[in-house]
Formats: sequence, structure tokens, C-alpha cells
Amino acid sequence: MDDAVPAVAASEHELVMLARGLIEAHTSEVHAALYRTRALPPEISTTCARLLGETLAHVWPALWRRGAIQSGASIEAGRAGQAGTLRRGRIWERHAPVGLTFSAATLRLLRWLVATPLAAPRSTLAPLVAGPLTVGDQVIVYLALDAAAGTPAHAAIAAQPLVRAAPLAWLGFAEALGTGAPGELDSLCQGAGAIVVEALTVELARRWRAVELGKRAIEAPAVLIALGAAQDASLGGFLAACDRHRRRDLAGFVIDAVAPLISRGIAPMPARLAPEATLASRAAARVAAGALLRGVMTWARWDEAHRGVRFIDDDYATAQLLLARFEAIQPAGAARAAAWLADLAGLAGLAGPAPPTTVPPSAATVSRP
Amino acid sequence: MSRAIQVRVSESVVRTIHVEDGVASPLEMLPILPAARMAELLATELAALGFVRDGTTCRRIEADGTEVTIDLEAATIAVALGAAAQIDESIERTVHTGIERQHEAEAGLRDSVMRELDARLADQAEALRRRVTAQLEGKLADLKVELDRAIGKATIAALTEKAAQLGQIESTHEDEAGNVTIRVRL
Repeated sequence: MDDAVPAVAASEHELVMLARGLIEAHTSEVHAALYRTRALPPEISTTCARLLGETLAHVWPALWRRGAIQSGASIEAGRAGQAGTLRRGRIWERHAPVGLTFSAATLRLLRWLVATPLAAPRSTLAPLVAGPLTVGDQVIVYLALDAAAGTPAHAAIAAQPLVRAAPLAWLGFAEALGTGAPGELDSLCQGAGAIVVEALTVELARRWRAVELGKRAIEAPAVLIALGAAQDASLGGFLAACDRHRRRDLAGFVIDAVAPLISRGIAPMPARLAPEATLASRAAARVAAGALLRGVMTWARWDEAHRGVRFIDDDYATAQLLLARFEAIQPAGAARAAAWLADLAGLAGLAGPAPPTTVPPSAATVSRP
Repeated sequence: MSRAIQVRVSESVVRTIHVEDGVASPLEMLPILPAARMAELLATELAALGFVRDGTTCRRIEADGTEVTIDLEAATIAVALGAAAQIDESIERTVHTGIERQHEAEAGLRDSVMRELDARLADQAEALRRRVTAQLEGKLADLKVELDRAIGKATIAALTEKAAQLGQIESTHEDEAGNVTIRVRL
């Protein structure tokens, strides 16, 4: 019968349910699945493969539901020597449906998540070996990190070579991936990768802003230095890739992340770095804290160039879109970000308490016998 | 029946340790004149503060050993302080054991003594480093005030030069707050 419920093994059911949980953002179900472990046979059945395929086919709408349902505009990069054009509307109106492809890496990740006891010490976990990743694989990696956020499993997943090989993971979770650097981020600025980044713009902005706020409470200089290095590598690499592919609009999340912080005057200044640490490490930590602000400086340089594009120029329409994007902070906001960067790099934040003022003799209390 | 013995191990170490801490930071100068000229004006002010110029750097070594280096070309300041100390530590430990375990006991005790000596050296080096850091930290506030003043004077000199390029300076007035008014006849 056609309407019969497909029958799969219990472990395969777990695999399919985990994939559904990740894609539909059913966090509690994913958490439960992550902390169960189930032995998996070396191969999955054709029914399970079909069910997984059907589940993965829902990734696009699931991404759109993550904040990309508002109407907007995006740049369609022109061919070499040609100007880019604008597309307006909702994200599914702006872009032709580009098929997301998933390789064996997605299945390896899902199997690893089902079979690995993530509550166990990290050193005992079987490593998830890195390999070539399609954009679809990167999305599943991103969704796994997102679903595990706030749990001990998050660090275990983030430590896996396969996860660390995903540029999208670096863009979304640089703070969790720590030392090292992302590979080429070009896959996120063209084709399906660019659409994925557009769909995740709201979420990326929220996440980067949350990390900025968290910097104020970090006390260990080494933690802040590692975080800054990861953010600089991810954001710097991504902004350069956007520039190469003439898709500066994809970096709009930088503006969205920083705009509320600038308007409220919330700088990423660490409130109290460990006073017992060396001044050199505290100075390096303060500089590292400015990673997102350095992204704003890149945007400010772009903005100057956009202001110079004339009505008769080919790129006028795209320049106007990017000018409108930058309006959220305006040059005044960029100037404030530059001032924060100067404060972070300056000596003032490192100086100890001011030397005690010598009380003049006339003001000193005189005790009488 | 084994015979009880006492194993005594004594180790000492004399070591010279050197610790250093320092920071580097950009200098903020308004680009009123070309960078090279701004650097010259700043160098003049720094000379008045006891800095010795060597090419594109100005350096001052203070009485406590703090070294302040200003790179005029890169517009950066580096402040560093180092300290050295000779550490002389010795430890003696004894343990009672059976004579048949003498060698193992002695080796174990020696390992433990060496570990303790290393830990003491590390503690003393860290204590010295913290003293250096605290000393340096205390100096930064004064140094910043001093440098801000020098940069302020260099900026006024630059403004005066710029004004002279625009026309004839009629008067220059500096109020108590440090604001400077330059009247120029164009």
C-alpha cells in the first residue's frame, strides 16, 4: 500500500528524527537525541535514505523561516566587467531555487551525532574526520552547532575536524571554534552559499551581537585573544570574499549586529581583565576585542567608495542599496566605532589607578596633643 | 626482616631569572601637516621631555629601567620594563624506608624535591613578573598625561605653521583650558 508508514530500524528512525529536529529547529528533541547513543549498522536502508532525502529537501524553507521572510533586496553580481543588478522581494522571489546538494559528509555527521556519547569526556570521542563539504553539508553543520548551543555537546561538536572545515560554521560560531582559521570563504558568496548567508543574516547579526556583549564579562586575556583571532580570521576572510565576488550586501549582518550597540553606546570593552595577567597580554586582549569593529571600519571604507558612485555610473543602483544599508549606523556610527578601537588600543585602558594626590600641608589634618 | 634506614636528599639551585612586560600602542595625532612634519614637531617636544632621538625613534630610559620608545614614522609608543633576580633555593627532605627500597625511595624523593624546587622557582619568577607589571601599570597613567601634553604642544605648533601658510598671524592666544585661538590676516 502507498500510504503505509515506512518501516526503518530503530537506529535509522533516530537518524531521521535527528535530521528533522535540526532542520525544523526542534531544540529539545535534538538535545534529547544528542545525549542518547545508539549503535548504527555500517549502512542505512534505502527507505532510510529516502526519508533522509525528503527531510533534507526542507532545508530551504527552514532557512527562510529563520528570519528571512521579510521583503528585501540583493545584488546579483554581474559578469566580469559588467555592473551588478538588484533583485527585490522576498528571498524566494529574489533567487531562483538553487538546489542544495548534500554529500556523504552530511550522513557522516548525522551518524556521528547519533552514535557518539556527547556527554562523555571529549578526549574519548571518536573524531569526525574532515572532508570536502558542499554548501548543503555546511548548512547541516551550522544547524547542528546552533541546536547544541548552550549545552556541553556544543564544544564537542565544534572541536570536530569536519565541523571546523565548514566556512559557514566559522561565520556563525567563530567563538566556539577558537584557534585556527577558516579556509576559503568564497563558497558563501556565490550560488547557494550566498543565498544561505542571506537567509541567515538576521541570525548571524543576533549571534555576533551576543558575542560582543559577552566580551565585556571575559576576564582571561587568553580567552579574549583567541576569540578575537577567530573572529578576525572569519570576518576578515568573509568581507574580502564579499568584495571579490561583488556581494558586499551579504556582509549586512555586520551593520545589523553593531547598530544597536553603537546607538546605546555599548562598546566591547572588557570590564575587568585579570589584573594578575601581564600588561602585554591584557593589551593584546583589548585589541582582539575589536574584531567586529574592524569589520565596521571595512564597511566605512566601502561606504566612502559608494558615495562616490554617480547616477550615470553602472553600479549606481547597487551603491544606493549599500548606502541605504550603511545608513543604520551612518558615518557618525563608524566614527564612534573608530573611537572605540582607538580606546581599545590606547594606553589609557591599561593604566593603573592614578597616583595618590599629595595633600598640601595646609589641608592636612593637624592633631593636637 | 628488613632494616629500616633514613634516606636524606638535599638539592639546591642558583638561577638568574629575567622577566619583562610591556605594551605598544598607536599615538593619535591629527594630520594637520604632512606626517613627516608632524613627526618632526613631536620629536622636538619629546626632546624637551628627555627623549633621545635615533633616526625615526625617540627613546627614554627612566631611573627605574622603564624604556619608552616612540616610533615617529609608525606613530606608535612602546613601553617596556624588565627585571632580573638571582634565586637561591635549597630543599632537604628525609624519608624512612626499608634498606631494600633505598634506591627507589631516594629516586622518588629526589624527583619530588626537584619538582618542588621548580615550583618555587616558577613562583618566584611569577612574583617578580607581577611586581614588574604593577610597576609598569603605575607608570602608564603618568606617561599618558606626559605624552598627551607633548602631542598637544606639537599639534599647536602644527596649527601655527598651518595658519602661517594661510596668511599673516596677527595674534595667538591660549586660555587656561588649553584652547588656542590663532588670528590670521588672509
